[in-house]
Amino acid sequence: MIMIRSIVRPDKVDDVLAALMEAGFPSVTKISVVGRGKQRGIKIGEITYDEIPKELLLTVVQDQDRDYVIKTVIKAARTGVKGAYGDGKIFVTPVLEVYTISSGIRETSSGEIEEVKI
Amino acid sequence: MKEVMAIVRMNMMNKTKKALLEAGVSSMTAREALGRGKGLVDYSLLEGAEKGYEEAIAQLGHSQRLIPKRVVFVVVPDKLMDATVKAIMKVNRTGKSGDGKIFVFPVLDSISVRTAESGEAVLDEV
Repeated sequence: MIMIRSIVRPDKVDDVLAALMEAGFPSVTKISVVGRGKQRGIKIGEITYDEIPKELLLTVVQDQDRDYVIKTVIKAARTGVKGAYGDGKIFVTPVLEVYTISSGIRETSSGEIEEVKI
Repeated sequence: MKEVMAIVRMNMMNKTKKALLEAGVSSMTAREALGRGKGLVDYSLLEGAEKGYEEAIAQLGHSQRLIPKRVVFVVVPDKLMDATVKAIMKVNRTGKSGDGKIFVFPVLDSISVRTAESGEAVLDEV
């Protein structure tokens, strides 16, 4: 399994969430973050803004869905056709195990599914 | 070393903190987050959208709100991972959907900023 962390513009979050729902990946966690990118923030006149507000979206998907989800996010989060600086980044991390608290079902990266007794 | 990331209900935070302490995990990071899970999907809507009904497509992505949750991050040595996961599951389980998820990630290294120590010496002991 794989976790996709996408940092997107706050005004594009609704589009991305709708696109993910439409693509069949409803589970998302959203966290507000601030940050800067390669352009070292935005400089307007004398002032540099280097804590730009963004939204961080966490989605965990199966390995084979990875490219599809990434494409969905890119398509929804890009501004215009070519995109612009500040549209965000997507990071992909491996997930070793996933537990569902309500049922205790454990899924491992190798695809085994079992119920954990507590 | 493993990172355990648990998404839990807001009102379960105090119990979770206590349970982690009892399991021998003293250090943690928590954040507020918004989210949705697969329990909220209206499959008839999805099916309708796939068939191309405009009414169904118009409702996609707007029908459900995001639910406020807490995210807990703990980095633990391999040996403590099972105990941590079980402790979180035990206190957070109500049996209804919305109890949350736990994800386990591999961690390459951890370094203490104050002492510059690295490896398992920075983490909680088993």
